[in-house]
Amino acid sequence: MRRLIGQLGKFCLYSDTYFEGTCPHIENEEIANSPYGAFNFTYGPSAGGLFESVGIDINTFGEYIRNIKVNPNYKKREIRILDKSIEDAILYIERINAAFSASHVISFLSAIDKISESDIDSDVLNLRILQIEMERIRNNLFVIERLVESAGFQVPLYQLQYLIENVNRKIGKLFGHRYFFGVNSLRKININDPKVDFTGIEREFKTIYEDIIENRIFIDRLQGNGIIKDERSIGPAARAAGFYYDARIEDEFLPYKDFDFKISTYNSADAFGRLIVRSEEIFESLRIISQIKVKSKEYKIKVNDGEGIGRVESPSGDLAYFVKVNNGKVVNIDLLSPSSINIELFSKSMVKNIFTDFPFNWESFGIWISEVGVRFI
Amino acid sequence: MNWFLKGLKKGIKTEKFPKTNPIDIAPWSTELNGSGNVNCPTKAIDNGSWNSERCIYCRRCYPLYSPTGNIDIFKVNKKNNIFRRSFYVYPIDIGTCGGCNLELKLISSPQYDMTRFGIFFTNTPRHADALIIMGVMTEGMKEPLLNAYEAMPEPKLIIALGVCAISGGILGTGSQIEPDVIIPGCPPNPYTILKALIEAKGDKE
Repeated sequence: MRRLIGQLGKFCLYSDTYFEGTCPHIENEEIANSPYGAFNFTYGPSAGGLFESVGIDINTFGEYIRNIKVNPNYKKREIRILDKSIEDAILYIERINAAFSASHVISFLSAIDKISESDIDSDVLNLRILQIEMERIRNNLFVIERLVESAGFQVPLYQLQYLIENVNRKIGKLFGHRYFFGVNSLRKININDPKVDFTGIEREFKTIYEDIIENRIFIDRLQGNGIIKDERSIGPAARAAGFYYDARIEDEFLPYKDFDFKISTYNSADAFGRLIVRSEEIFESLRIISQIKVKSKEYKIKVNDGEGIGRVESPSGDLAYFVKVNNGKVVNIDLLSPSSINIELFSKSMVKNIFTDFPFNWESFGIWISEVGVRFI
Repeated sequence: MNWFLKGLKKGIKTEKFPKTNPIDIAPWSTELNGSGNVNCPTKAIDNGSWNSERCIYCRRCYPLYSPTGNIDIFKVNKKNNIFRRSFYVYPIDIGTCGGCNLELKLISSPQYDMTRFGIFFTNTPRHADALIIMGVMTEGMKEPLLNAYEAMPEPKLIIALGVCAISGGILGTGSQIEPDVIIPGCPPNPYTILKALIEAKGDKE
């Protein structure tokens, strides 16, 4: 089944193709006739409760949210990437968003691989899968940690922080850097120490997971919060609404079909469903990782001129790059970030909810402002 | 079982650092050592010497230069022991990739437990003893940065966290406020951050 993903530069990207032109636009629901007492409230851009700098304009009358708009442009960075070599471009791309750094670079490199029409060694592709799945585990733990922090649950908060730090240390030991910076280059994946095992993470997380989803006080804050069942959803937000959408099974460039894992879905379409999907995905990612043999890898590729699109399933959904190469240099580049789509979904899901739902719903989408506030020059 | 007992059951997870050496550290966040000329994209290696304030740890200098594991790459130009008992820090993101935000947050994890040194995060600059600046200077964050700085009471410390805030790294220009403490890294690792904050608040060795 073909699904619409979003606008990637001059293209409208679908799950199996792309067309030049603008994607059909969906307006956020706004409630007309401002009632007595309704007012606009701006939260941010620099506020302690926000992890990144972002402006959020809320139209409310006390509790009921009538409309919400997210402004990710306060910290908009201009990234000087045009006319850089592919190797230099990687340095910039991996610093767009540290949390999804591997997903960004691998999506970019997939576009380059497609332009080059090279056969990439399966060991290289497996090492790319390894990075994305480690990133997914770390990010999903972080999203869950932010949810329990919003609820003020200190014990699971610190248990999750402990686990995140452990995962970071394992990534750092295996690849030399905790956020995959300097790991991928055009012809090499740097492995620092291949003898890192992830056993223990599953057992540790299982206990925390069982504890938090048994806690009525916690799940009451998530169930019915931010319901969004929209065919244009992506990632965990889509899968929590029962849509079987996942770039890992749609885009065959990375050989996910060689691995035994299942796509986690749920049917509540709310913040609780997004928690369940992200948690189940941690177990599935650990299963994928256990099937990969790690070894340092160099490979050959002849970069051609041309243009191509690379897409991966980042921890928060589809992430795609359009890249045009001329004489070995990047002459055009566009990014479709999962956070840009999730911001629209979040805004839509927040209308008619109450004010205290806001932090839980915001965290459940796993939005990173750094990958939205970017302009390539 | 209630949360309190669940917490107790896990036991003590906090490490003895800084009394003991770091237990587990990613090499490409520590001091680089070596010799020779390399094509460094940020000029962090120039005339054979390594400048931590510019290094983005891209590994292009490897194997001529390699990490030593030494985490003491920060500089404390001004400290204030008035903050020895409690040190409230207000982080501000002026244009980050999120890496510095994540690593700073992790010093509150049980492994590091910043609160045992009297270090706390605050949600408002009015309650802050130190401003921690992260990221490259973006147009939209110039005013919020200045507002936060001016809202802070005296005495105050300014801390530039990460190579973006210090020199701009590869992405842009650094913060235009003169820092009292610089913590290099892309991003800095939590051991380095914690040790720098402990020194900045004037703790005795």
